[in-house]
Amino acid sequence: MRKLILQYKQAWASLKKKPGFVLTVLMTMGITLGALLCVVTLNYLLLVEPLPYPEQERLFVAEHGLIGAKKETKAVAYTYPGLVHLYKSKQAFEQASMMMYGQDVIVSHSSQPLVNIAYVTPDLHQILASPMALGRMFEASEALDTNNPVAMLSYNTWMQEYNGSADILEKKISLSGVSYHIVGVLAEHFVEPELEIIGRKTQVWLPWDYNQAGKWQRQAFDNINGSLKFIGLLKQEVSQSQAQQLLTPLVNDRWQAGLPGDDDFFKGWTINMHVRSVKDRILGESESIAVMLLAGVVGLVLIACANISNLFMARTAEKQRQMAIQAAIGATKKHLFKAMFAETSLLMFMSIILALVLAQFGFYIMQQYLGAILPRVNELSLTPITFASAVLVTIIFALFFAKLSTRMINYRALNTTLQSSGKGSGLQVSKKTRQVLIASQVALATVLVFANFSLLKDAVKTINAPIGFATDNISTLILNFSSSDIPSQEEAKPIMAEIMEKLEALPQVESLAQGNSPLDGFWVRALTSVANNEKYTPFFKSVDHHYFNMIEQPILQGDNFTMAQRQDGANVMIVNQAFAKQLKADGDVLGMQISTGRPDSFKIIGIVKDITIPGDSPTDRDSSALGSGVPRVYVPNGLGGQSFMLKLKSGQTVSRKQLGTLLAEVDSRYSVFSFNAASAILTQTLFAEITTAVTTTVLASLVFLLAGIGLYGILSYGTQLRRFEIGARMAIGATRKHLITMIIGDNTKAVLAGFIGSIVLFALAYISLSEYIQPFLTWQVLPMVVATLVLIILVTLFACYWPLRQYINKAAIYSLRGSD
Amino acid sequence: MTDIKIEMNNIAKIFETDDVETHALKDVDIVIRAGEYVSIAGPSGCGKSTLLSLLGLLDMPSSGSYIIEGVDVSNLSLDEAAGIRNEKIGFVFQSFNLIDELSVFDNVALPLQYKKELPTDDFIKTRVEACLKMVEMSHRAGHKPNQLSGGQQQRIAIARALVADPAILLVDEPTGNLDSKSGDTVMAVLAELNKNGTTICMVTHDTRYADMANIQLKLLDGQIVKDELLKVAV
Ligand SMILES: Nc1ncnc2c1ncn2[C@@H]1O[C@H](COP(=O)(O)OP(=O)(O)OP(=O)(O)O)[C@@H](O)[C@H]1O
Ligand SMILES: [Mg+2]
Repeated sequence: MRKLILQYKQAWASLKKKPGFVLTVLMTMGITLGALLCVVTLNYLLLVEPLPYPEQERLFVAEHGLIGAKKETKAVAYTYPGLVHLYKSKQAFEQASMMMYGQDVIVSHSSQPLVNIAYVTPDLHQILASPMALGRMFEASEALDTNNPVAMLSYNTWMQEYNGSADILEKKISLSGVSYHIVGVLAEHFVEPELEIIGRKTQVWLPWDYNQAGKWQRQAFDNINGSLKFIGLLKQEVSQSQAQQLLTPLVNDRWQAGLPGDDDFFKGWTINMHVRSVKDRILGESESIAVMLLAGVVGLVLIACANISNLFMARTAEKQRQMAIQAAIGATKKHLFKAMFAETSLLMFMSIILALVLAQFGFYIMQQYLGAILPRVNELSLTPITFASAVLVTIIFALFFAKLSTRMINYRALNTTLQSSGKGSGLQVSKKTRQVLIASQVALATVLVFANFSLLKDAVKTINAPIGFATDNISTLILNFSSSDIPSQEEAKPIMAEIMEKLEALPQVESLAQGNSPLDGFWVRALTSVANNEKYTPFFKSVDHHYFNMIEQPILQGDNFTMAQRQDGANVMIVNQAFAKQLKADGDVLGMQISTGRPDSFKIIGIVKDITIPGDSPTDRDSSALGSGVPRVYVPNGLGGQSFMLKLKSGQTVSRKQLGTLLAEVDSRYSVFSFNAASAILTQTLFAEITTAVTTTVLASLVFLLAGIGLYGILSYGTQLRRFEIGARMAIGATRKHLITMIIGDNTKAVLAGFIGSIVLFALAYISLSEYIQPFLTWQVLPMVVATLVLIILVTLFACYWPLRQYINKAAIYSLRGSD
Repeated sequence: MTDIKIEMNNIAKIFETDDVETHALKDVDIVIRAGEYVSIAGPSGCGKSTLLSLLGLLDMPSSGSYIIEGVDVSNLSLDEAAGIRNEKIGFVFQSFNLIDELSVFDNVALPLQYKKELPTDDFIKTRVEACLKMVEMSHRAGHKPNQLSGGQQQRIAIARALVADPAILLVDEPTGNLDSKSGDTVMAVLAELNKNGTTICMVTHDTRYADMANIQLKLLDGQIVKDELLKVAV
């Protein structure tokens, strides 16, 4: 034991003399291992760790897939009555819950905030065994068709909107004209299953009966809604596939019977029930992101490892004489290894402490910036898994570096070292070893830099893709109606006309349109071409006659809508290029008749240019339009619509409160539901791409930095070892040019070998992952290949020159000194 | 006079490290004529190696003038100095300083490769072979330096110093790393070269070897104390 302590003391003393070396190891290993711990913890959480619910392995969602006549999946979403039918049937699931997601304004609150709502049956929180901070969860008294107006708040809502007030259970909140008694607040550590949008947090929970579906929707089997969910505990004796076999006919038969008889749009379609574990549902596409991150970070660790190996080898070379003396006075190989291990383990221990601190910081960053891309990041923390990996990594790397360093020592040659009293060659790493190290470093760096370039390019491309319409100074105002007796279109018309008049009179407003912006979303509508009976499901939006002008979306052919057409509810339609192409190969569709299923068909009167909304892809997966823009269709809206686009004069703003006052003056039942700038919505839609771009930029810069440090380390070490040789060459008349050319020439071979090595790595990757790589293999990668090569070559040249300069820019005697 | 190979006037060398100034050489005047064999002796630390490195343009003097074959070389750029070293100076080190990775032949040929105008392969071959013959090492041309004994390595180093036909051969304790028998052989080679006209300036501790020179200089604390003419050059 005393011996061990002594060893560590000696190691510490010897390291203290080399602060530069210690700092480099600490920073390189600390940062990369920190990233590794972060990503390992994330992968464990996402891929292995059970969900924080009792019996989570029996927790499943049932998804409602609409299958077209050609067995293709048309959409995955429930019809309202279909979901209720499934819920009431009590098949396959021991207990299950219906859910609907929505948003609404708490009108009773002084600041009238817009909040995320989930409408659920009491089963949900019972299944999840949700912990409560206050009060109770929903019970039998809130079961289906009880119409009991009570509410539960999330912990954050209680804290933020109600300052955590103690008498919250005596309060009521009112939304859309209903006043709800607050019966409970969920605990802070309650984890909501992210079934809809990753990162969306429900703020207010309301009983299912109060959901936002209209009377008509509650009966409609020909209408689907993506925010309807079904989650439950599968019966013990029922397997996943048995559940699917049981539920598919149950739901399909009811759907077929419930479809309106006069509509043959759905002819040949069926429903397929897909039962999947909640864990799988939550993980979704994130698995590949998590694994990609892991791969990227492992690459970083490999590079860092190569770098640090070089440093340790250089250090061994430096300590050669010291070790020779130790050997002369009786140290065995084992002694030398132990001394080296004391050093490496001390360094790795310090690195891992730094890594743990950085990992904790990394979790915070991930929660801030990856919360919208990756599920469950709020659950990230330093877990036993993190610590176990930390210990494992420390031991492995300490052993690895110690072994590597001691393997370099030619124990028999140590004597010679002493006898020649440090003259001549000293401990030389063979030229071959040096070259192999350089080559592997170049290969690794090339592959990683190239891969990062590609990711970066894709992310930047999405962000910079022209959207095809203007968002400057445009905001969308959506009204909230806070009473249960919703006015008809006819009743609403004069009210809306008055509101518009007042809005237009605001000094800040430049122009106004009725309806919302393209970024606020499109519907999907089932349409049939009258000419040939072909069916389409393009994106669909009703807009007014100012819409295209305001967002500067050009009308390429035909006419815009008119006020008269809106008043009369005329059956006219404007389509975009993509849909025109889908309808007719030559895109000449003016005058074509399109049926919506109702008796009167729509006539196409205009064609507009395509727009690109990030994240929107054609609904029709097998449509030939794929890749040539998303098909969109526009019809004139009525005059009773409760949303508006405001184009403000540049530099001007209008507050939510100001608008609220304006609305209340016209009709006190109206308030602001949402008022968002189009550019803000756009940024939000791009958030995932921006995050990816930032992450890849950071990774790419780190990779490049580490690769650069590594290449530099190895080349500079190689040059140091050649110091006397360089001196000798200078003595016999080599000029600086001679020497630079020589070093570059010698290293070029190794760098070329590295490039070839990277091609081999790519070839291997291609063979095993060709389906992912194939789409990337176009001539467009050529500039990136060139950029990668240029960057690697520049670093190499720099790493050739920079360590050499200390010898060649001084009198020759300085390089020779020490050899004499 | 045309037969003056080297002329140093008033040379001083001061090393400055961490506020400490070391006056390694002061007021050194040296003239070496064609065909002379000069030895420099003196106690450890008196400045012998420093003087030799100045003579060999491996370092620059702090002050004073230095002329080689009529050319003033007291103020040269690094690359100019390299050029003069290549053309006019042959250096032999105590620790040989051969390059391990190159064969004996390539080691000897190296100075020719650094010439401003690269000689033809034929010229290089004949020249290298001639030099190896002078040091009686022709039979080892294909070997690597670390396959040779110390004495043999030193003779290769002498061949390398001679290959570019320098104005003067500078030798720093050539026998320091050798046993006495190998040392004798090396010294015999040098004596033979001098007899055939090579100008030599050698640093040595060994009075036995110093006696082989016709001019013996003594350094003490960076200054020359005795300038004794023993024999007249042939
Ligand atoms: N680079 C340097 N920086 C500082 N001082 C130096 C340097 N090189 C030499 N000296 C000093 O100059 C003096 C002369 O050194 P030099 O190596 O010429 O001695 P030497 O006569 O060759 O000794 P030895 O017989 O031991 O080889 C010494 O005092 C030495 O400490
Ligand atoms: Mg000396």
